[in-house]
Amino acid sequence: MPEQNLSQEQLKALQEKISQMSPEELKEFQKKQCIFCQIIAGKIQARKVYEDERAVAILDINPANPGHILLLTKEHYSIMPQVPDNEISRIFMAAKSLSNSMLRSIDAQGTNIIVANGVAAGQRAQHFMVHIIPRKEKDGINFAIPQNAMETNEIEAVGNKLIAALGGAAEKKEEKQELPVPQISRPPQGEEFPTPNQSKPRKETSKKSRDGLNLDDISRILGVK
Amino acid sequence: MTKPTQCIVCSIVANQIPSKKIYEDDAVMAVLDVNGANPGHCFVIPKAHYPILEQVPDAEIGKLFQVSNRISTAIFESLGAHGTNIFVANGIPAGQTVAHFTINVIPRKENDGVNLQWQPKQLTEEELSTVELKLKEQTKNIGAFEREEKKPRVQAPRQAVLSDEEEEYFSRQMRRLP
Repeated sequence: MPEQNLSQEQLKALQEKISQMSPEELKEFQKKQCIFCQIIAGKIQARKVYEDERAVAILDINPANPGHILLLTKEHYSIMPQVPDNEISRIFMAAKSLSNSMLRSIDAQGTNIIVANGVAAGQRAQHFMVHIIPRKEKDGINFAIPQNAMETNEIEAVGNKLIAALGGAAEKKEEKQELPVPQISRPPQGEEFPTPNQSKPRKETSKKSRDGLNLDDISRILGVK
Repeated sequence: MTKPTQCIVCSIVANQIPSKKIYEDDAVMAVLDVNGANPGHCFVIPKAHYPILEQVPDAEIGKLFQVSNRISTAIFESLGAHGTNIFVANGIPAGQTVAHFTINVIPRKENDGVNLQWQPKQLTEEELSTVELKLKEQTKNIGAFEREEKKPRVQAPRQAVLSDEEEEYFSRQMRRLP
């Protein structure tokens, strides 16, 4: 967003104006304020290296390495959670192809793909974008992701919060996986032993017995060992 | 796809190594990183074994990043994070440590020790133009993306025929990976 120095009164008037806008007007207003929307519209010059009907890729003017690309949705989204699934698919398919292009054309030995959501994550512009950074050995870039071991109870608590926020998908799936277990517990003589519905049975190598079942036996029956 | 037994990520997918699963469907799994940057750090992985991004079929790329976006949103909603990063290290020089394509979804707060910043490099107009032309030469070959699953991905079918030199360079890239 362009630097603006507004007085308190101007700021207040602006906030007032924004609060009265319809969603369509607000979107239009955001677009006008957004330097990347101006680039996409061709009103500001940039070095475009790729364009399709949904996305534009330009060279970053402050690159981490030569060839650093910003991949932008043509539609204005301030932050990634606003981007619909089909747009997410498309933009990252393009990111993959652009990464591939870097390996082939500018001697990149690897690539980083980075999205920053929120100021705390390093987001600077109010337009969703994907950074694709060509990498070479000893290129002076030192990304650091520290490792901090989590306590066992914290793992459960944090994990369950995320599962709940996602709609409990992982839990449901696990229930499904456990379905075959009672069937397997039947004495395994006879060829009519019911095969689990899954095409590929999960490997059970854990020694922990569940409901008195010997998991080693089960894995033998399933032909895992 | 056969799974190399030594791949630690494949062992997690096969439940041979215990993990806290956050999400699972037929192609994608998301697991809590218990040694992550911040509590809630997740990695999103394809269940099939693909060492690098370029080997992952388009349809799976779409799913993987959709799941990553949903997890990022869930991190905002349920963990009160101030921000999130989606981070992929593709290739050893980019910091890839495991030969199984992985997307990191990292919850962020101020001064959390995560550094994904860089010192901008100053390029001359000429250098910029050179890199722009080289990239455009390749990106013009980017065609329609595969929507269908199931279709086995042939090695880079959309790219134009490579010169011997390029071909050799590219295969050298692949061998660099563990």
